[in-house]
Amino acid sequence: MEWWGWLIVVVGVIVILLGLFIGLQARRRRGGVIVGPASGTSTTGVDDAGPGSTP
Amino acid sequence: MRTSEITKRPVVTHQGEDVAQVKDIVFAANGGRVGGFTLAGRGLFSGPKKEALSWESVGSLGADAVMIESEAAFEPHQSVLDRSARSGGSGGDVLGSKVLTDAGTDLGVVVDVVVEVDDDAHTCDVIGYEIEASEALETKGTRLLIPLPATLSASKEFLMVPDSARNFVGRDLAGFGASVAAFRAQLEGGA
Repeated sequence: MEWWGWLIVVVGVIVILLGLFIGLQARRRRGGVIVGPASGTSTTGVDDAGPGSTP
Repeated sequence: MRTSEITKRPVVTHQGEDVAQVKDIVFAANGGRVGGFTLAGRGLFSGPKKEALSWESVGSLGADAVMIESEAAFEPHQSVLDRSARSGGSGGDVLGSKVLTDAGTDLGVVVDVVVEVDDDAHTCDVIGYEIEASEALETKGTRLLIPLPATLSASKEFLMVPDSARNFVGRDLAGFGASVAAFRAQLEGGA
């Protein structure tokens, strides 16, 4: 394959990965309405934002 | 006001800095009071933030932005959750949960939550759920507002409401506050 063919493949992969990352971050920013956890217990589903956050 | 109008609203300091956006609304089951917000960063590449904003730190909840004094108002995520921790809470998201009456009737699925902001008392209370009605309400698939008692019960699967709430169901926010007041007055009268 010519060098420009490889360039198109690499740029295409980068664009796809960037799109996936932006989509994932948009999903993680999506909000919800959380009922406070019961007293004396901790919540599950810990992610970067901490426990109790929606995905 | 619906909580969907609050999520994604920018958090702006009094210096004019756009520092975050609202992600989740956190409320206590016991008393239905909003304790604060979890936050997400601004911009395409941002994800959820590790800090959260307690309701006490909110300067004002404006139509287009949540105003705060400065970024120093942010606090650890867990402390905001702990402040809203009460008996009867689940720690989960109520959107998508089923609403069940104490008589065992499934009224529908929660699609939004209605809050009432009192600027004088600087409080924000959960007063109702917007549900997609089930067959039990004879208007299956339509969106209805259902008033809530002052004390809520919520597990990860079901949100419990008194059966009499069916008699106070509304279709739009205009007049819903009066329905909630009448519903709560009836509960107190019957208690």
